[in-house]
Amino acid sequence: MSFDKLLDLVNSYGSLLLNGLLTSFYLTVSSYLIGFTLGVLISIARTYGPRLVKALCQAFVELTRGTPMLVQLFLIYYVLPRVGLTLDPLPAAIIAIGLNSAAYQSEYLRASMSSISYSQWEAALSIGLTKLQAVREVILPQSIRIAIPTLANELIYLFKYSSIAYFITVSELIYISKFIGSRTFLYVEVYSIIAVIYIAFSIAATEVFKFIERKIAIPGLRISTRL
Amino acid sequence: MRIVLEVSNLWKFFGKNPVLRGVSFSIREGETKVILGPSGAGKSTLLRCINLLIKPDRGSIVLDGEEVTAPGVNVAKVRSKIGFVFQHFNLFNHLTALENVMLGLIKVKGMNKSDAFKVARESLLSVGISEDLWSKYPAQLSGGQQQRVAIARAIAMSPRLVLFDEPTSALDPELIWEVLGVMEKLSKEGMTMIVVTHELGFAMKVADEVIFMDSGAVVESGPPEEVILRPKNERVRRFMERMQYVYSLK
Repeated sequence: MSFDKLLDLVNSYGSLLLNGLLTSFYLTVSSYLIGFTLGVLISIARTYGPRLVKALCQAFVELTRGTPMLVQLFLIYYVLPRVGLTLDPLPAAIIAIGLNSAAYQSEYLRASMSSISYSQWEAALSIGLTKLQAVREVILPQSIRIAIPTLANELIYLFKYSSIAYFITVSELIYISKFIGSRTFLYVEVYSIIAVIYIAFSIAATEVFKFIERKIAIPGLRISTRL
Repeated sequence: MRIVLEVSNLWKFFGKNPVLRGVSFSIREGETKVILGPSGAGKSTLLRCINLLIKPDRGSIVLDGEEVTAPGVNVAKVRSKIGFVFQHFNLFNHLTALENVMLGLIKVKGMNKSDAFKVARESLLSVGISEDLWSKYPAQLSGGQQQRVAIARAIAMSPRLVLFDEPTSALDPELIWEVLGVMEKLSKEGMTMIVVTHELGFAMKVADEVIFMDSGAVVESGPPEEVILRPKNERVRRFMERMQYVYSLK
């Protein structure tokens, strides 16, 4: 691996790599946001919902966690068309990864919700808030703060594992690298470049979440020493 | 004065264990009732039944002529008319003192921010929380300040009555004094209050009636000087003797 070859690669394939990066980025952020939104709803339903809703949500989480993400991706991309629902590769990947992430994020949030003292719940109800208001105004704002480190974890994880979209021809980073590699035979160089990209993303994401965590920390409250 | 709350023959079981065994009493507008009794007597459970945080198994609770234990009652609405002050304050950790008081005004009473601010301001000032503390978070306040904010949060909703569940049990002596002072003032201003406490001095001074509970039932009730100084019931007498030992300087 030489520096010249690297420079050549970047010169000739830089824009292609950048496209791959943008696709990966788009794929990750979209599925993360789907996962977060559904995750919040599922965690609330599982903690405070009626029995039937609880059971349905639990079934979703168990099924999603218990099967490989690749199988879910294939189901959505190759099996759904048989029942008349055909999706392009990128939306199919976003939905598959988003649903998968929802299962995990709901569990992170459920764990942090159960760490909020019952007395907060009692106080919320005592001033006349409905259950839904109590969750939205009192429980959720506190539990999301606690869940931030694990939510950061999930984003970094997704950026790396969104590469399975490669299997259904989404032109994300891995797909592009394989393509460039097959043309130039500079596999080592290409993979080195994207490894650096992955690490850079992970460090950047960590910093962003650290910033958010500091920004919304509750003054005077040290979580680790709280009763 | 008209009756604000009437509790009749209230029963509550935790499993097979009866925690309330047919409690009955009523409270008139502007009255302050103090509930005394050993731990495990069902005092906290009684308060939680009154604002429906716990559903009683039998009996009825009537607030302003409306039976709140009847099926189909809007529970949140009932709770908005009953203030609750907790032993451990239970302020919302992620909100400032001011926001703690404003939350119910905005979300439950539907006030806009500036009206809610005016009401919250009055409430906070009336419990002696000055403006420099309004933007502080609960974890930045002393226990006494937190409890006073909690009282402000309860009274800002202009409730029909306020329930106090051992409001000073988690406080240091000087802070107890500060919170009891606020409660005494509230009582004098005509607030209807039910107070579970071990502060006999407060009961002597402020209570219109004292109710003594043991094992889920009312065993004696009457004016404070009767129940505290000249109890008729043997269990109450033993309790008061022990309180004398703990609190008396003689």
